[in-house]
Amino acid sequence: MGRQFAFVMALWKTNLLSAMEYRVSFLTQVFGMMLNNALYFVFWIIFFARFEEINGWDLVDMLFLFGVVATGFGAGTYLFGNAVRLSPLIANGQMDYYLSLPRPVLLHALASSSNASSAGDFTYGLFSFGAAIYFSGSFGGLMLLRFTLGCLASIAVLISFLVLVQSLTFWIGNTSLLTRHAFNAIVTFSLYPITLFDGTAKLLLFTLIPAAFIGALPAEFVRSFDLLQLAQICAGGAVFLLLSVFVFYRGLRRYESGSAIQVRM
Amino acid sequence: MPAISVRELRKTFQLKRKAAGLRGSLRALWRPTYESIEAVRGLSFEMEDGELLGFIGPNGAGKSTTIKILTGILHPSSGEAAVLGHVPWQDRQALAFQIGSVFGQRPQLWYHLPAVDTFYLFGKIYELDDKSLKRRIAFLAEAFEIEELLETPVRKLSLGQRMRCEVAASLLHRPRVLLLDEPSIGLDVVAKQRLRLTIQRMNELEGVGVLLTSHDAGDIETLCRRVIIVNHGEIVYRDKVSSLKRRYLTVKTVDVRYNEQLAADFSLPGVEMVKVGRYGAKMRFDTRVTPVEPVISGLAAAGSLADVTVSEPSLEDVISAIYARTEA
Repeated sequence: MGRQFAFVMALWKTNLLSAMEYRVSFLTQVFGMMLNNALYFVFWIIFFARFEEINGWDLVDMLFLFGVVATGFGAGTYLFGNAVRLSPLIANGQMDYYLSLPRPVLLHALASSSNASSAGDFTYGLFSFGAAIYFSGSFGGLMLLRFTLGCLASIAVLISFLVLVQSLTFWIGNTSLLTRHAFNAIVTFSLYPITLFDGTAKLLLFTLIPAAFIGALPAEFVRSFDLLQLAQICAGGAVFLLLSVFVFYRGLRRYESGSAIQVRM
Repeated sequence: MPAISVRELRKTFQLKRKAAGLRGSLRALWRPTYESIEAVRGLSFEMEDGELLGFIGPNGAGKSTTIKILTGILHPSSGEAAVLGHVPWQDRQALAFQIGSVFGQRPQLWYHLPAVDTFYLFGKIYELDDKSLKRRIAFLAEAFEIEELLETPVRKLSLGQRMRCEVAASLLHRPRVLLLDEPSIGLDVVAKQRLRLTIQRMNELEGVGVLLTSHDAGDIETLCRRVIIVNHGEIVYRDKVSSLKRRYLTVKTVDVRYNEQLAADFSLPGVEMVKVGRYGAKMRFDTRVTPVEPVISGLAAAGSLADVTVSEPSLEDVISAIYARTEA
């Protein structure tokens, strides 16, 4: 475990060194994404200026939700940047590099790239969490612990979901378009109050598009401790993680490599 | 125990076929058709520890597929293989600690960073401690003459410089076997020669075995003692490089020039005249049919010699002849 941690830390350091080669581009993307997220939240500020709450959710709940989703999403796609590019890596035969080195292929592939704009999401998420604390008037070490745990569970489910969708590439070829739709769906649904959905829609948000595990569930858990919610987010994270690893490695046996000329960025 | 042992190795790919145009695309969408392509057809060979083995063949011969199976990248369809006692597709990680690989078309150095940053990352990947990693980098930098290049971003290196850094990176963990897939692709003559000499030196210094695939017969001629030639996934020739030359380099071409005019009916028994001029001639003969001595005596007897050049076909020509023979 310690060996893998040292290896992943070295990968992240190399990613950072690579990003620092183009500092202006890096900072532009970070601030651009923060601004983009802030503009998106303005919609909710306008909404809650007219309506006090929506199915029991108010503006502070939305700040907690955006805090967890943006922090989890930002950290997840920054640290595991190839989670959004796995399909072309598989389809174009670029897994050769990871397969020829003595490390777990999936972990190595995921952590070998970082998205500069994700750092903007991460920073925005922390600001949103800070604003939620300020407006709710409640803060403590336990809330910080719950926030960390909630974000980790959110990262686990998001990355696992992206791996699952893109592992289909091993069977059906390039799934870049499907990945884009799945990615948009999970991010969009994770940024709405869960109380808006019921019946089949709610079931879908816990299974096929597990947006509830990325947004609403951890956000509610951060706001107030609930043992059942803790069990749900831990179980959700573990199940999706194990399932994605299983499906990826089953698919990897079908990997066919390729002969395209490649560059390691 | 051989370093590499391969028995009846086969790899079949399923290739989707589609007729040209929109109609073909629509039909393929509705009813896709697949064709089985046998990239490797029952290959069997061995490579000894510390050996330099050439593995050559034209495009699509199955060289890269074989190397990918031996590194654990691909699973074979059937057959057996062992590299340093490991089955590559089953013990991929354990094997990767003991072998190095360089794919000419698939760089491992990070493009925007200096090579030394990738070297340090590889140090973590191969679990080398900082002190021995630094010593190793210094040693390889000197051996590969890349001291001045280590801190330059890879994107600013020439192809030859980059390839020397690539091979050095693959040797950081002191592998016992190095699998090189087209390492000299795209390099100029000087860069090729430099790379060959360095690989040869590492083989002599550290006893690292090298399985080398290349299109360039010069790589094989300079580096390898033994060669395997593959075509359409099958071995068509295997022997020592020296035997290959002895066996196939029997046709000699002679260019001769005289100080005086040649007789109009100038000819020699058993020798094919390619071109006959007033003061010289170009001819060809096979030493298995016509011995060298009577040809040389005949040339001397024909007049006062000004110059004689005897040349052999290049190894490239020989290999082309072997391919052509297997195609027939």
